[in-house]
Formats: sequence, structure tokens, C-alpha cells
Amino acid sequence: MIARDKPASKACRNLEEDLVLYYYGELAESDRRNCEAHLKDCEYCRASLAEMSKLLPITAAHDEPPPTFWSDYSREMRQKLDCAAERKLWWRRIADLFAPIPMSALATGAVLLLALALTFGKGLWQPSAPAPDDESFMEVLPIAEQLDFFSDMELLDNLDLLETFGGQGNGTA
Amino acid sequence: MMAVIPTARLGDEELVALVQKGDRRAFEELVERHKQKAYRIAFDFARDREEAKDLSQEAFLKAFTHIGRFDGRSGFYTWFYRILVNVCLDYRRRAKRTSAEEFNETVESQVEPSPLISNPVSPDQHAIAGQLSHRVGAALELLPAKQRTAFILKNHQGLSIREIAETMETAEGTVKVHLHRAVTALRQSLAEFA
Repeated sequence: MIARDKPASKACRNLEEDLVLYYYGELAESDRRNCEAHLKDCEYCRASLAEMSKLLPITAAHDEPPPTFWSDYSREMRQKLDCAAERKLWWRRIADLFAPIPMSALATGAVLLLALALTFGKGLWQPSAPAPDDESFMEVLPIAEQLDFFSDMELLDNLDLLETFGGQGNGTA
Repeated sequence: MMAVIPTARLGDEELVALVQKGDRRAFEELVERHKQKAYRIAFDFARDREEAKDLSQEAFLKAFTHIGRFDGRSGFYTWFYRILVNVCLDYRRRAKRTSAEEFNETVESQVEPSPLISNPVSPDQHAIAGQLSHRVGAALELLPAKQRTAFILKNHQGLSIREIAETMETAEGTVKVHLHRAVTALRQSLAEFA
């Protein structure tokens, strides 16, 4: 008799996994015998097994395509194999080009190329400095010319002249 | 002069050896031998005729491209089966992007009712069959990839736990757990049909 607090299809918890394996015929001999002995006495597990037997087969999708489908299948497959064979051949030709060269030489060449690329290509990858904005530069220039600091720069401009005079003085002394 | 043995008489492994030597016709023979099984597996995953065809053909192409890697430790079909299942799982990941509505429409239009509910004699029964297909497709779609794979390979394809473990490259105990969880989830989702 089925107890009210337990649904008819609810198997004993410790046997749930075994029941699934029993249904699929995947239990070892001794486990199968134990399971069958249990099933004789347990109505819950019998109901659970019956439910699985009813439900699981209907989950499989059946599809029987017509014979034309299979002839199309084979034809398409041959076409796809043609393309794949073509690609395979193409790669083999490339591989054959490099075949006479030993692998160690190829590896050395690749490392050298990488080193050269890193050495000489370094500057090429740096972002170039932005060009000065001519308009803003022209706006700032007149203001800068009025600054005292820049007027003192005249002294620096005349340094060459002072050095020349100094050199002449030393030479005459 | 050497007699040419028809490819149809050769075993899979002998055909593979010929393919590895560049005999493409030998591979075509392998396709002819296994295309229906491959299609059915792909259909279990995709539940769409055209998709199943594309997936199984993609698996054959991969097998052809990588035939050099086949070392004969397992049978050709076991090796190919693994490629096919992986192609189907990749498809499923891609298909997740499509809406559930599109999927369900496909299921309804492509999947024929199983023998248990076939020959519907009344519109009501026909409606139930359609609803069941719809619900089964949706319930399977909700399962995590590994549970779904274990379930399909066992329930639909009838592989042994050991073969599933080999195909999924996992332990047999893990397959048993996936299978149990998948069955439990499906029973909950489809309780009204039990």
C-alpha cells in the first residue's frame, strides 16, 4: 500500500540511481539481484520503475528521412570532401616548399625575424607626437614676447660676442 | 597485376589505412557505412533535419581532415563518434543563442511522434503528441550539456556506460551521476505525461 506522504512514483532515496541503471540494464549482477529483491517488496520503487519505462522511451525523437535525402547527403558529402581534399593539397604544397629546410633552421630563422622586427620596428609602433596647433601658438607668442624673462634672453644671445671679446683680451695680455 | 579489392569488402580499419595513404574513395565508403547512424545521433542533439545533416557531415569532414591522427587504438567508429558528439555539443553552444520559440517550432515541425503515441486517431491525441514533442524538446534543452549528452547517448543511442565514459572522456561513475540527474530532471519536467 502506498503511504499518503509519499508519491507513488517516488523511489527509495538510496536506490534512485540504481533504479535508473537497472532500467538501462547497467547494474552489475549482484546489484541487479539486490535491486530485483527490493522491487518485489517495494511498491514505491516498482511505481518509479514503471513511470521510467513509460516516460523515457517517448523522449527519443524519431526521424526517417526519405531515400532522396540520403542520395543528396552522399552527393553533398562528396562535394565537401572535394573542397577539403583541395585545401589539404594546398597545405601540403606549402609544407613541401619548406620541407627541404631542417626544422632547426626554420626555428632559428623565425627567432631572427622576430628579433629584427622588435629591434627595428620599435619606433614605428610608437604613436607620433601631435602636430602643434598653429593658431593657439600664434595667440600665445605676442604675450610671451612681452615677458621680462624673454627680454633677459638678449644677454644669452650676446654670449658669443662676449666670449669673442674675452678671447681677444687674453691673447693680447 | 595486383587485384583491386572492392572497398565495400574491407573493414573500417583497412579503409582508414587506405585513406591515410590518400585514397579518398575509401573515405567515401566509410561515410556510406556510418552516415545513417551519424545522422541519427546528430538529430538527437539538433532535432532538425537540415541541422542534423550539416552536423554529421561536418563531423565526417573533421574526421577526414584529421585522419592522420587516428592511431587505431580504438575502432574508427569510436574515434569518429567522439568527433561527432563534440561537433554536436559545439552546435548546442551556438544554438543557445537562438530563441526558445524558434527551437520549439522546429521540434513541432520535424519530430515525429514516437511509437508509443503514434497513430493518433483523434485530434485530441494528435494535439497531445505535438505537445509532448514540444515539451520533451524544451526539457532536454534545459539539461546541462553533460547530463544531456549522457542521457542522449544512453537513452537514444543505447551506448553502454563504459562507451559513454570513453566518448565523453570521463569516469564511468561520473556518467552514472549525469544520467541519474538527467532522468530525475526529465521526470520532473514531464511528470504529466508519465
